[in-house]
Amino acid sequence: MNLYKSTTLKTPPPAGAHAARARTWIAENLTDRLRTDRAHDTPATLDELIAFERALHAAGFAGITWPREYEGHGLGPREHLEINREIGRAPMPNAVNSIGKELAGPIILAVGTEAQKAELLPAILTMQHIWCQGFSEPGAGSDLVALRTRAERVADGWRLNGQKIWTSGASKSQRCLLLARTGRAEDRHRGLVLFAVPMDAPGVDVREIRSIDGQWSFCEVFFNDVIVQDSHMLGAPDEGWNAAARVLSIERATNRMYRSWRFQSELEHLVAACRSDRRALGVLRPYMRQLAQIRVEIEMLKGLVETLVERLMTGSEIGPNGSFPKLYWSEAHQRFARIACEIVAQFPAVTEGPLADVRARMQDIYLASRAETIYAGTTEIQLDIIAKRILNLKRAA
Amino acid sequence: MADDLDPSEFEETARAAMAACAGTADPAARGRLLAEAGLLGVIAPEAVGGLDLPIRFALPVVKAAGAGLLGYPLIEALLLARHLAPVDPALAGAIVEGRTLASIAWTGCAEDRSVNGLPMGERADPVLVFLRDGGAGLLSRGQGCHALASTGLDIDLPDSTLVLSGAKPRMVLDAAAVAALRADAALLRAGFIEGAAAQCLALAADYAQERVQFGKPLSANQVLRHRLSRDALAVETIRAGLARALAEPAEGAAIAREAVWLCAAQTGPAIAESAIQVFGGMGFTWDVPLHRHLRQMQAQATRGTAIEGIDALAEALLADTENEWYGDLAYAG
Ligand SMILES: Cc1cc2nc3c(=O)[nH]c(=O)nc-3n(C[C@H](O)[C@H](O)[C@H](O)COP(=O)(O)OP(=O)(O)OC[C@H]3O[C@@H](n4cnc5c(N)ncnc54)[C@H](O)[C@@H]3O)c2cc1C
Repeated sequence: MNLYKSTTLKTPPPAGAHAARARTWIAENLTDRLRTDRAHDTPATLDELIAFERALHAAGFAGITWPREYEGHGLGPREHLEINREIGRAPMPNAVNSIGKELAGPIILAVGTEAQKAELLPAILTMQHIWCQGFSEPGAGSDLVALRTRAERVADGWRLNGQKIWTSGASKSQRCLLLARTGRAEDRHRGLVLFAVPMDAPGVDVREIRSIDGQWSFCEVFFNDVIVQDSHMLGAPDEGWNAAARVLSIERATNRMYRSWRFQSELEHLVAACRSDRRALGVLRPYMRQLAQIRVEIEMLKGLVETLVERLMTGSEIGPNGSFPKLYWSEAHQRFARIACEIVAQFPAVTEGPLADVRARMQDIYLASRAETIYAGTTEIQLDIIAKRILNLKRAA
Repeated sequence: MADDLDPSEFEETARAAMAACAGTADPAARGRLLAEAGLLGVIAPEAVGGLDLPIRFALPVVKAAGAGLLGYPLIEALLLARHLAPVDPALAGAIVEGRTLASIAWTGCAEDRSVNGLPMGERADPVLVFLRDGGAGLLSRGQGCHALASTGLDIDLPDSTLVLSGAKPRMVLDAAAVAALRADAALLRAGFIEGAAAQCLALAADYAQERVQFGKPLSANQVLRHRLSRDALAVETIRAGLARALAEPAEGAAIAREAVWLCAAQTGPAIAESAIQVFGGMGFTWDVPLHRHLRQMQAQATRGTAIEGIDALAEALLADTENEWYGDLAYAG
């Protein structure tokens, strides 16, 4: 006896005027070349991606919550969520400038001077400045406050010396959100200072690192006697870092807010592609219970994300609660990616069409997903945060 | 009425009522205690003595029941009082007042001559049974049906099998009414499991901080800290999922409800299992209530036919999609 009508278990397109507008715009502007659900002989170029991202902002779908005076659209987190649901449903490329839009921008809004806001914020949205995040160092990963990059007071500003690593997108960036220290490494949390460093400043040296997916997605960045002005400092020493920590907790919860919906569309793509071919459908069938499980997890992820959006709306602190969606998403997405990769590996040999496209996409996702439990705080660090700051578990009698 | 009330206002009353119920061995007395606290009619219409509140107001009540190991078919009472009110107001009223202990046989259908998953079946009268056409009927005791002792795990709310020998259920709900009842049941069950799971986590977190081994509390060890963090994530996931399902999101209220129920059915028991591990040998004892929570949550998963639910979802996923990018992947040309 089947107690459930399958038709009732569908997700209709998101409601709302913003969603409808975004849906139409994306359908008209996301060309085949930009679609991430197609295998491309020559992938979209950086210039093409930048142009698309600029147009996305001009159409009203980036900088959604930023004030209008800085080229933002002046809307709230709910509208941001509404639009991001649509972005997630479509096979859109990930933002080239997500560090600018989701990390640097909110920090500048929180601690920047009026002059900094006016100069830096519009440049992010118009794609004049792509940003990278210079936090991690060879000796400071999970233990970020072990960082050693030094900022010394000099007559005409600050002198920077040190090395960053795993800096995503550094080779295509115009600005680096750099975390350095004014004192000694032993000072740990004290004396940390944030800068907006122009990547073309003399003494900045970038070397790309190849990642497991064959891409050159992150870099080492060396700072050798780089001179920056006071006007490049974001907040006072300590103040900038404290603000950054607050912003980071919000960002962990809300960045790439479209993730659950993108995740769902990846699953829908896999199933739809298999439906288009009798042999692939045969491969898929035995995995359906596992995939239904994943479908449940996607729905639960939406709950975790939307809970935090509601908290933001009421002005509550996000604090350590951002760890919940990060942890849940990264692990569920890896589970999906592993199953998907197993499925496409059993496809008949085809070189084009829906099966070839979905195979390429799922293989990319599988490899890329391995980083999801590492960046933005590893799984182990998220679990530490929950134990310490949510469960308050004691360490000594 | 719902406008000037907050569901959390029921939390304290519910907790106190569960504690009172734990103090009496007689299920009928528990029914009276719950009724006196006004809890059995929270979502029933005013005409049968209920408060006529939306389902979200019943959530604190079932959560407290899950946390408090309630030995009363509360979910069944809440559902029957609400859904039978239009067809049998007298019975619905008696349930609200705690005078009648009614229950629901959750699995199987009457035409098969035996139905299962009937909480407190040895006491319950009448019993709602499902019919093959999707509707449901009522059976009274002694009318050609009898209950067999429990085959399930739950000891606080033992399940029975009801054998039907010639009994003809009195048809009370059509298929649409049953679907509505099941939709409410999914939410109430998920809430019950959330309450039980949160209680298991709280017990385990407390124990881990009290128990000293190797000269330090168990909670000093990262493996156990991480285990408890994962359990906290699982509880939070159910909590957030339930809040979302109760808000009936425009993008799919049915899937939101189904998902949180299926998630609770799976992760709830796993949280109890985890807590038993944290307690060590103590966790394996009859006196530590973790096994009772485990049993209750497993029983909920069975009554709610969670496995069937996953398969139905798989079917829906396979059938088609509402995402226009993937509606039809037979490429043109
Ligand atoms: C694709 C990608 C992009 C990135 N982009 C950026 C970027 O743009 N900017 C930037 O600043 N950084 C970036 N990072 C760096 C990222 O933040 C770090 O990799 C991460 O913080 C982990 O640090 P680590 O690599 O030094 O690993 P480590 O800290 O050395 O950790 C190694 C392993 O040990 C575990 N571990 C560490 N400490 C503990 C502990 N106390 N208890 C238990 N286990 C522990 C970790 O969980 C991990 O499994 C990126 C990383 C990746 C993979």
